[in-house]
Amino acid sequence: MLLSVRDLQTHLHLKRGILRAVDGVSLEVSEGETLGLVGESGSGKTLTGLSLLRLLPKGSGRIAGGSIALDGQELTTLSEVDLARDVRGRRIAMIMQDPMTSLNPVFSIGDQVGNPIRNHDIASGTQLRSAIVNVLTRVRIPSPAARLSDYPNQFSGGQRQRVVAAMAIGCSPRLLIADEPTTALDVTIQVQIISLLRQIQADTGAGIILITHDLGVAASLCHRVAVMYAGKIVETGPVRQIYRSPAHPYTRALLDAIPRLGTKRRRLAAIPGQPPSLIDPPAGCRFAPRCPLRMNKCIEPPPVTELAPGHTAACWTLA
Amino acid sequence: MLELDGITRHYRTRHGVVRAVEGISLSVRPRSTMALVGESGCGKTTIVKMILGLERPDAGAIRFEGTDVGAMNSAGLRAYRRAVMAVFQDPYASLNPRLRVGTIIAEPILAHERPSRVNLTKRIEEMLDIVGLPATAARLYPHEFSGGQRQRIAIARALALQPRLMVLDEPVSALDVSIRAQILNLLQDIQDAFGLTYLIIAHDLALVEHFCSDIAVIYLGRVAEAGPTAEVFAKPRHPYTQALLAAVPLPDPDHVLSEAAAAGEIASALNPPVGCRFHPRCPHAMDICRTTAPLLAGDPHRIACHLPRT
Repeated sequence: MLLSVRDLQTHLHLKRGILRAVDGVSLEVSEGETLGLVGESGSGKTLTGLSLLRLLPKGSGRIAGGSIALDGQELTTLSEVDLARDVRGRRIAMIMQDPMTSLNPVFSIGDQVGNPIRNHDIASGTQLRSAIVNVLTRVRIPSPAARLSDYPNQFSGGQRQRVVAAMAIGCSPRLLIADEPTTALDVTIQVQIISLLRQIQADTGAGIILITHDLGVAASLCHRVAVMYAGKIVETGPVRQIYRSPAHPYTRALLDAIPRLGTKRRRLAAIPGQPPSLIDPPAGCRFAPRCPLRMNKCIEPPPVTELAPGHTAACWTLA
Repeated sequence: MLELDGITRHYRTRHGVVRAVEGISLSVRPRSTMALVGESGCGKTTIVKMILGLERPDAGAIRFEGTDVGAMNSAGLRAYRRAVMAVFQDPYASLNPRLRVGTIIAEPILAHERPSRVNLTKRIEEMLDIVGLPATAARLYPHEFSGGQRQRIAIARALALQPRLMVLDEPVSALDVSIRAQILNLLQDIQDAFGLTYLIIAHDLALVEHFCSDIAVIYLGRVAEAGPTAEVFAKPRHPYTQALLAAVPLPDPDHVLSEAAAAGEIASALNPPVGCRFHPRCPHAMDICRTTAPLLAGDPHRIACHLPRT
């Protein structure tokens, strides 16, 4: 197993109290596999991704428990120096959402794509230049050698996202975390980036964690999907099972709430209410206050039930 | 209800003339919902600014209920601004954080009328009730509400003067999936109850199909295809519309996406392609497409394309 996360707890220490942003998340990613981490804002999906790289808000963010194993090596006990040298950007790399903010406007593209390659001693001197050209070619930037000294503002939105991807794959990481990689893009460009991610995976065999709120993007790219709600994974399974036979009431409500192409105009099934505060979350099932199938039992934490091989959900109705 | 008649808007910049909107003609029927669809930089925002009277077209006319907005006197413009209201994308940016919700909703009313205090309070409570918020919300500040609730406040403010046309600029894109459906259903209920006309800017095509009676697909400042949503989605005839539809990721793992339908990226409005503006990305481009801009033809399903009509 490439990545194995067990019972991860990430807390944010705020003035108002301790926010349990990630509260007991377990997940696995194999080589060449894409896991979708799907959920709404505040569900903890981005902080789960950042926890893997220990890139938490300075001062307030802290991994409070659980384990993260990459190729069998425990990361939570690794020193900051070792993590920065061997893991961050090297074995695990991240593709951020917004290429406008994840690229530095005052450094050339060649500089920025070359940075991780140089820092991790993958290549230097004349080899560095050809390594940069090579990685830009792989993300299909046209005539890359001529563009090394260009700045981010000289690239279009879609090309900037390709450059951000190039920065991530420069050191041939085994695991890529892509946080909403297509959200800022137009639909015809989005489809180009989706196919680029597929191609990167086919070329390198890397595992990918795709963090997204878009159920369409997750369906088109993922092998398995984990649905997060209020800091917990409520359902995990192979992509077809999640979309064809969703088991958790939240997953079902989410799939019912989105309009679909090819369906007639009708009322959407809205989910009443809103997600709970994670400073003082409800005991038991966190979706219970909004759940149409709520029972008395739901004030206790729901057990995780295996519905089919690899398909699990945490709900009393399934227990 | 609302008619855009060949409106054009160019901006002079350091780098040259940006041809943001180039001869757009559309008409919005009363009580219908018209969607403007297109990629960033296609001119949607400029069109909205002109409809709201924040910009004036360089050429062409905007007619509201038969009257040319550009030729209205100040009393006419005041009436126009009462009748046309807007709800914007980001409810975090569009509500003044230093005003109480009641004051926010009262602002447009006080700009146009002198109601008594009792009457004003009553109207604020009525608006809050329509959008599903308790009367006590009036005393709170925007930061005390979630994104979905803030969008309800923005809708209450837009409704306060009983407008006839509402311009909705990506009204749910900033909201979570579970909240989006709540707001869309609310907008639907309000339209049914008050007989409103909506012009909505959207990029989510599934939402457009679900929510809108008519659609206009804009590419680089021009209408590529327009017509009743059901017809356009059942038989998209412009290669750009076809490309947009093929690129939508569906919540279905067995759906195959096509990126072949529109290669490359949208050109700059500073230097738009000659002829059909879509031709550099079009898989069917012919010689004529590189020289002559196609005219918008057909009724009610209109297409601007040289391809033989099928």
